[in-house]
Amino acid sequence: MFMAKIEVVMPQLGESLTEGTIVKWHKKPGDKVRRDETLLEISTDKVDSEIPSPVSGVVTRLLFDEQKTVAVRTVIAEIETEGSETVLASAPPEAPSVSPPAIKPFTFTRPPSPPRVPAPPSGRFYSPLVLNIAREGGISMPELEQIPGSGEGGRVSKKDILAYVEARKKGAPTPGAAPSVAPAAASTIPSAPRIEAGLRHIDSGELTKKYPPPQYEILQMSNLLQKMSEHMVRSVHTSPHVQAVHECDMSKVDAIRRNHADGFEKREGFKLTFMPFICDAAVKALQQFPLVNSSIEGDKIILKKFVGLGIAVASENGLIVPVIKNAEEKNFVGLARTVNDLATRTRSKRLLPTDIEGGTFTVTNYGVFGTMVGIPIINQPQVAILGIGVVKKRPVVINASEGGAIAIRSIAYLTLSFDHRIVDGALGGSFLATIVKHLENFDENQIV
Amino acid sequence: MTYLEAISEGLREEMRRDTSVILLGEDIGTYGGAFKVTKGFIEEFGEGRVIDTVLGEAAIIGAATGAAIAGMRPVAEMQFADFVTNGFNQLVNVSAKYYYRNFIPVPMVVRLPSGGGMHGGPFHSTNPEAWFFHVPGLKLVAPSTPYDAKGLIKAAVRDPNPVLYFEHKYLYRHLKSEIPDEDFIVPIGKADIKREGNEITVVTYSTGVHWALDAAVAMEKEGVTVEVVDLRTLLPLDKEAILNSVKKTGKALIVHEDTLTGGIGAEIAALISERAFQHLDAPIKRVASMDTPVPYAPTLEKYFLPNTEKVLMALRELAAY
Amino acid sequence: MARTSTDNKTVRSRAKAQQQTRTHLDGGLSKEDLLKLYYVMRLTREFEDTILRLYQQGKIVGSAYSGNGNEATSVGTAYALEKHDYLFPLHRDMGAHFVKGQGVRNLMLQHLGRGNSLARGRDGTGHYSDPSLRIYGNISHLGAMVPVATGVALACKLRREKSVVMTYIGDGGANVGEVHEGLAMASVMRLPLILIIENNQYAYSTPIFKQILVEKLSDRAIGYGIHGITVDGTDVLEVLRVSREAVDRARRGEGPSIIESVTMRMHGHAAHDNAWYVPTKLLEEWKKKDPIGRFEKLLVSEGLLTNQKRESMLKDIEAQIEEALLLTESSPDPPGEEAAQGLYGE
Repeated sequence: MFMAKIEVVMPQLGESLTEGTIVKWHKKPGDKVRRDETLLEISTDKVDSEIPSPVSGVVTRLLFDEQKTVAVRTVIAEIETEGSETVLASAPPEAPSVSPPAIKPFTFTRPPSPPRVPAPPSGRFYSPLVLNIAREGGISMPELEQIPGSGEGGRVSKKDILAYVEARKKGAPTPGAAPSVAPAAASTIPSAPRIEAGLRHIDSGELTKKYPPPQYEILQMSNLLQKMSEHMVRSVHTSPHVQAVHECDMSKVDAIRRNHADGFEKREGFKLTFMPFICDAAVKALQQFPLVNSSIEGDKIILKKFVGLGIAVASENGLIVPVIKNAEEKNFVGLARTVNDLATRTRSKRLLPTDIEGGTFTVTNYGVFGTMVGIPIINQPQVAILGIGVVKKRPVVINASEGGAIAIRSIAYLTLSFDHRIVDGALGGSFLATIVKHLENFDENQIV
Repeated sequence: MTYLEAISEGLREEMRRDTSVILLGEDIGTYGGAFKVTKGFIEEFGEGRVIDTVLGEAAIIGAATGAAIAGMRPVAEMQFADFVTNGFNQLVNVSAKYYYRNFIPVPMVVRLPSGGGMHGGPFHSTNPEAWFFHVPGLKLVAPSTPYDAKGLIKAAVRDPNPVLYFEHKYLYRHLKSEIPDEDFIVPIGKADIKREGNEITVVTYSTGVHWALDAAVAMEKEGVTVEVVDLRTLLPLDKEAILNSVKKTGKALIVHEDTLTGGIGAEIAALISERAFQHLDAPIKRVASMDTPVPYAPTLEKYFLPNTEKVLMALRELAAY
Repeated sequence: MARTSTDNKTVRSRAKAQQQTRTHLDGGLSKEDLLKLYYVMRLTREFEDTILRLYQQGKIVGSAYSGNGNEATSVGTAYALEKHDYLFPLHRDMGAHFVKGQGVRNLMLQHLGRGNSLARGRDGTGHYSDPSLRIYGNISHLGAMVPVATGVALACKLRREKSVVMTYIGDGGANVGEVHEGLAMASVMRLPLILIIENNQYAYSTPIFKQILVEKLSDRAIGYGIHGITVDGTDVLEVLRVSREAVDRARRGEGPSIIESVTMRMHGHAAHDNAWYVPTKLLEEWKKKDPIGRFEKLLVSEGLLTNQKRESMLKDIEAQIEEALLLTESSPDPPGEEAAQGLYGE
């Protein structure tokens, strides 16, 4: 005879019931109980009921006291049976009289989850299909960003990307299929301030005789103008100017700028322009090439351990170059704020004399006028000046090492004019290349 | 022959082929049916197989279920699809669940003359497929052409499960085409590409097929090719056909005459989104009737229903996206 | 038969009892039939008591029903059927299942929803079908099976089969529209349908006087132009007699009959309901008319049922139930994945 432990559970006497209360135990541990003999009484929301024992045996444990409320199907008691008592003398149980029929399987397939895609920096919408085609065609996000879209809202449609993939395969220039990009910013060139309007008209004896009106008009140069004129002549006479020009792919910078435009403006209160990027790159390069951040006294080179970054600003009265003091201590946002501050105060004529002192290097952005390549004059006593040309979308060759493909990129030409007394072509070229490298690989994380 | 004649012909062929096929319905015997689908049947097959029942859809559908369980193949007619609601309990609780619970097949067909466009008003124009689309155990078919109508009624009669056959009243006499003589079946569960195209997929059935085909002709002139997938069977859906077409074109428009909210188009849209998201170049669009009862006056009904122009507009929007 | 008393009353009642038995013996009921009727009623009661206990032990989930007090009706009506006749029982008609030939094992497995039960766990209680015995189980919607039974009866008539269809409804269920539609069709088409209205005085907690105005539910037959009769549902021989008449009538092609069998629902609506709303006095009165007790008394007084015989019957019933319990305990639950299978017939 073997013993078996049987667990008695709280029954569910009604479909919606979840618990029952033990009202009274009719047995205690050690008591014998017969099958179907009342073991306990329970109470539920619906009914009070006597619960018969499921087996015959000896009650060994009562797990809950009377008046305890317990969830249905919880074990509430244990009974030791005498095991073999209920074994039938006759044959073992057979299968039911009717064997249930075989059931055909009913397939349920889980749909596959789509691969993850990085967010496009420009915020332009790409449909799942377009992203799929791009991925299959090995088109990276930056490349995708350059494809013109003829779909709604200028989005790249299936047709657009398929055409691009075709053209890319053939190596042909990307078809100008209904370009929705606005034509070159001819209408957006800022007009130069009219200097002569602010100058004093002169009527000066000798000169008026030599240049009489109405064919001639004589104006008195302003102080600023005299200074500039004098400075420029002196500069050319002092420094043997050599120029290096470098092509710079500003696509990444442009994308970052556009990506963060709204957020930046919201936070800082002014627009994010190219200048802070250029300043940042220049400062880094100057730290790498300290000779470019110096001046000359006779046969001595005065190395500056600080960077005073001058930003050439076209004002009403002429060219002014306010200086970002200790630019090497500023991060990107700091540079942006300072540039903005100086530009604003320049235009509102609130610059202080100290603002234009202490420069060690100058940046001049004539690109705003649409100038592609410039040959600037060094701002004495500095030994170099960086000129930035217009940022324009141009067809260029990419992946040249793998055969090459034509892509559309935002390109600008950077010019470094430098003083060949101490800066030779190698140094000038390397310095400029470094700036370009910083710009082309600008780290987006600097922005925030 | 017309769409209506095709249904008649299909039924007649099945009744000649298998003596266990019987018809039950109101006015189907002596009168030949409200729409004359069973005209001449009682003369050919007798009162023992063409039964003019009492008025009572629960009795009709329940009796069809019982006869099916007992080994016959009954085809019950609802005089108008709208009246099936009186037998709703029988269909969804007895017929639909019977095999799953008892493993006894219920080879019955319920014919449902459905649809609007004939000024039938709110109780003679319903498309009730969405109610039953949600009931596992039923099969639903909705032919759009005479060929499909004949092939599907025959397939429905031969299917061992309860099949709801949605025959569109407007198509009864408005469609006519040549149909082969031989004994052919349109398999249940298989859609049909009624027109091939590359730019946009239209998933549709019944009257929707015709609006879509007409609109597709216009779109072709505008340089956009449209693929029209005629579901033919609503339950079980031919998911592969739908997905393959959408994967080919990248744009999907679902069209049905049934009202929009909770129409089966919603399920199809969910299916496409779940299984073909990667292949979508545009959001999924639907064209369907307004979410109101079917109005009676012709101007109101026209406003309520979809039509070729509405489908065309949707196609143009999709093409431009 | 030796007289053991000279009391007139006793003599009269015994004579009446003898006459009853003799009538039935004359009417084609053998001694074996009578003992079988008794056995099945007893089996039904013992089986249902077991089911109730299993429910209280938490081994049956959902709900469980009993036809305690209804045994004469369920057994008596079904006993009038032949093997080839169809049965569409309701939830208090376990007796009918047994009469039709269903085994204790199958019904036990079915109630516990085991994987090897006839419904394979897809449905519980009596919601199963067994075509080999021509038993077609009900669904929870009362009245829904009447049009279906009508359909089966239609098939029988169309195929010129001599089979009849017997189905059941309660006093409350009789008000459901589908019952009317089924009867309307069966009547005008003279289909071989027999409807047993089990008037057990209560529909859940609703007493009969809140359900109908008429005295006799069988009067509804007048509305259909068919035969209707009300019978004492605790008298198994009476129930059997009128059932046979109805079955014969149907087989002759004379159409449907309504048999109202008057009993009492001795337990609650279901195992979770203790029927506190039923007046105790009513229950006490009906207890005196317990169908099994009544019939047992009759058989004993006729000398057809000895103590020994009775004990051996009970032992046999107990053994069957025991064995069925053992089988059920060791039978597996249906595997979860089976839920996704077998939606459509092939």
